[in-house]
Amino acid sequence: MNDRSTTAPTRTERLRLAWYLQRLSWALQDYPGRERRAAVLQVQEDTLAAAADVGMATAIDELGHPRALAERYVAQLDRPLPRWTSGAVAATLAAAALLYLGLAYAAGALETLEALGGGSVTTYPLGGEVVLTASDGAFSLESTVSWPGVLLVVAVAGVAFALASRVWRVLP
Amino acid sequence: MPDTRDPQLLKGVLPLLVLRLLTTAESYGYELVTRLREAGLAQITTGTVYPVLGRLERDGLLASRLVASSSGPARKYYRPTDDGAAHLARAEAGWAELAAVVTRVTSGPPEPTSGAIDRIGAGTEDRRV
Repeated sequence: MNDRSTTAPTRTERLRLAWYLQRLSWALQDYPGRERRAAVLQVQEDTLAAAADVGMATAIDELGHPRALAERYVAQLDRPLPRWTSGAVAATLAAAALLYLGLAYAAGALETLEALGGGSVTTYPLGGEVVLTASDGAFSLESTVSWPGVLLVVAVAGVAFALASRVWRVLP
Repeated sequence: MPDTRDPQLLKGVLPLLVLRLLTTAESYGYELVTRLREAGLAQITTGTVYPVLGRLERDGLLASRLVASSSGPARKYYRPTDDGAAHLARAEAGWAELAAVVTRVTSGPPEPTSGAIDRIGAGTEDRRV
């Protein structure tokens, strides 16, 4: 052990360790919650102890990249983990895609209305009332929310979430 | 001299080595890493050892205690539990068996089995035709 052994970590060194632990925690975001906190705490305690022996810079460098360290912790679980973050992103994208399709349909209908000389059309997709109006170059869209429509969005987002997160991995 | 060891081999035996060293003397994380280096694993890092310590502790094979240190924060010392000692005994027995097989296969000339001899004979007949 070297002459750093009696040197307490400086404020900068503690900040560097905190930043490393934060990145490790992000990299472990799909790790089971309680075990993630235990892993990060273990790294913190052992790194502080190592820093007393070899200095904080070396102690942190020896840990390697936070993502690589997180992968080693995941490998020690011996089971695949659900990817909750990927699931959330996929669900959001799926719901956004549905919204985009609905708005694209409405925009096309309004342009058609205008090409026909303007007017108003009322449709009832998925049980909700949608009123499209085009007159004198101005467009308007009014709609009500229907349970079938909400269920469709929830179902599509739910399926996307389940597939992207590999939710079946929670099963033993 | 380049390290020719396969990381996958080390991954399989590292828990055994950790349990064995901690049976000899309890250690905190970084001290254990230095002991592994002194034992010949010169390239091993804390980033490889800490996850193994975490797993062994989670599985109840290691226990830990905080010991105050005059040179810094309290250090977490690890030692094997009774389950850890039993696991180590099984792991060492398994390793001895495997090592014996590997040594036997890699150190001596290959001995063809009767099935292999039959196949060689069949190949010879094919060439004659």
